[in-house]
Amino acid sequence: MLEVDRVLRESVDEVLEKMFFIRSLGDSAGASGGPELIAHLTFEGRPAGSFTLRADVSAARSITADFLGAEDVDVADEQVGEVICELANMICGSALSRIESDFDFRLTSPVLVPAPPAVRRAAVSRAIELFNGAIAVTMNIEEPACSPAAEYAF
Amino acid sequence: MAYRVLIVDDSAVMRTFVQRVIELSGFEGSVYFQASNGREALEVLRKEWVDVVLTDINMPEVDGEEFIRRLAADDMLKSIPVVVMSTDATISRIDRLRALGARGYITKPFRPEDLRAELERTLGAPCA
Repeated sequence: MLEVDRVLRESVDEVLEKMFFIRSLGDSAGASGGPELIAHLTFEGRPAGSFTLRADVSAARSITADFLGAEDVDVADEQVGEVICELANMICGSALSRIESDFDFRLTSPVLVPAPPAVRRAAVSRAIELFNGAIAVTMNIEEPACSPAAEYAF
Repeated sequence: MAYRVLIVDDSAVMRTFVQRVIELSGFEGSVYFQASNGREALEVLRKEWVDVVLTDINMPEVDGEEFIRRLAADDMLKSIPVVVMSTDATISRIDRLRALGARGYITKPFRPEDLRAELERTLGAPCA
């Protein structure tokens, strides 16, 4: 799981820097416990599993403003939700491409959910501190049913 | 240099982002059209002439792969260059889309300069 953990961190940093012009401030203990937005998606193929992104609302608004080149106060709630879904989509796609660059996978469209879906214990999570709050990502990779888990060499 | 650009993505914020990046990349004066899936994109292309199409892959109704397939099968439209923008960087997917007719492929996340370079490469001329 160390490999997935490293890939996840690299993917978060890359997406934030390239598309959102944001640098992370380092690891975080997790979301602040205040209001947050949660985006969830699943992926099929090799590998298969699910991905969840949680963002403090303050961080989500700031990320959206950076993405759209607007001020925090000018972004609509609908845009914030859409951007958080896009962020989840890009981090997940980036991580999966790093994990398995030779296999096809398909992402479902991310959706906002009221609470983080349950994941198995082996899911890998990272929490990152940003200027205006924290985001946390969790990748849950299902083990293949008919081949050893070691096949993916995580 | 100004171009007529069709941006196809089911995310409105992503279409806005891509348009902003192109505008900031030295393509001042360009004209933009937007569509949220491949079906809408084909409708736009039957009414408007464009220089290049930038398209996502995972979209509802008609996804990017089917859109490129339909474009390639249309004698009136098949010469329009298509650049794919996708989170999927798997080699098999990129090869398949290129075989279908995609002229360029850029993986999300990308820097603004990456998109500009891909557009210049696809359109065949440096921009002022």
